[in-house]
Amino acid sequence: MSYKINEECTSCGACEPECPNAAISQGDTTYLINSALCSECVGLHDTPQCAVTCPTEACVADPSKKETEAELLEKTKKAHPDKNFSGSFPSHFRK
Amino acid sequence: MNNEQQQLTRKDFLSGTEPKWCPGCGCNVVLNRLTGTFPLLGIPKEKFVMVSGIGCSSRFPYYLNTYGFHGIHGRAAPVASGLKLHNPDLSVWVATGDGDGLAIGGNHFIHLMRRNVDIKVVLFNNQIYGLTKGQASPTTQVGVKTKTTPFGSEEIPMRPLPLAIASGATFAARISDSDPDLISEVLLAAGKHKGIAFIEVMINCIIFNDGAFKALTDINVRAENIIRLKHGEPLIYGTNKDKGVKLNGVRPESFKLGAGGNADSALVHDIHNPDSTPAYLLASMEHPSSPVPFGIFRQVSKPVYGDRTMPAPSDTEVEKLMMSGGNSWQLDDSGNIGTVDP
Repeated sequence: MSYKINEECTSCGACEPECPNAAISQGDTTYLINSALCSECVGLHDTPQCAVTCPTEACVADPSKKETEAELLEKTKKAHPDKNFSGSFPSHFRK
Repeated sequence: MNNEQQQLTRKDFLSGTEPKWCPGCGCNVVLNRLTGTFPLLGIPKEKFVMVSGIGCSSRFPYYLNTYGFHGIHGRAAPVASGLKLHNPDLSVWVATGDGDGLAIGGNHFIHLMRRNVDIKVVLFNNQIYGLTKGQASPTTQVGVKTKTTPFGSEEIPMRPLPLAIASGATFAARISDSDPDLISEVLLAAGKHKGIAFIEVMINCIIFNDGAFKALTDINVRAENIIRLKHGEPLIYGTNKDKGVKLNGVRPESFKLGAGGNADSALVHDIHNPDSTPAYLLASMEHPSSPVPFGIFRQVSKPVYGDRTMPAPSDTEVEKLMMSGGNSWQLDDSGNIGTVDP
């Protein structure tokens, strides 16, 4: 399940530099998450970083885009080919 | 030309320079919404000027793809006035802050309001000096600890909106960085207003004064603490729209609908009221003693500064005026003041 940004977004830009996959960009009225790149920070952080940073709680899970932890980890691996994800890794599924 | 104007979008007004404001700063929100508002005003891009002084907010001209003037501290108002008077075709905007506009530029601020020059002033109020890293500003609340008030500020804060209304502002509004749609609505109305437009934006400084407006901006509690002003509608607020505001003498007072009266007894908001007193009273409402109104407080039509002297006198007319009376002097060949023959 990738994350999305809802209409609570004020375009403050806090989330953009926090995203480890560079999935966030500025749209016309809100910021946007590219669901092809969003891995919910699986493998990198134990909570999605945009949701932690957002001052208006506008970064939320998108129920229409459900993905398993393994699928999300694949996306992270693609975004970070130089990193090694064997062994234990942080994930919000394992909290 | 007309076609070209219609095609302008938000991106046409962005300079492409990456804003140096902190990620999460409310200034980003205003930049986003202001650039979204400019294309709706039907004014060609080259007719916009953004004037600023010094401060975080005053970095604004760099991020706009319009004319701009980054002036000296507190002096955005005189620079903007001069621009507007010399070239009345321009849409002149001022970006200023609580330090720039109310401390060093406080004097200019009052006179800009009373003159009713056709300028739009956006004042970013974060109740702190952000650019200089966290000293108390004129709007810092009592008890707030800053680098210059380590034991808590003792000064009674300045209230920009009541000050603007008392000084004669013909358009006065308050918005916050947590309500972008209201920002667009107010900026559009301000852009179309003829005369001075004053807009106070409550900006959260996430680094030096984080949470200063939490009660008014936090999604979970704000409905109980703010009123959205709408022209011609009674002042009703609350999560369940169960509270109203009425005037008790000269004091706005909140009451519960049902127990303290019904919706009919609530004060009806009139932005075109020629008397500025109700707007002043609403602007004076402060958290936590009362709910805080957001939106347009006042919008009235009054003669605009410069209109009475238009068309501008020609150089010959000015020269004739200078030479006509007994109060003008002519320099002789060596530069000394001689006298003018009657």
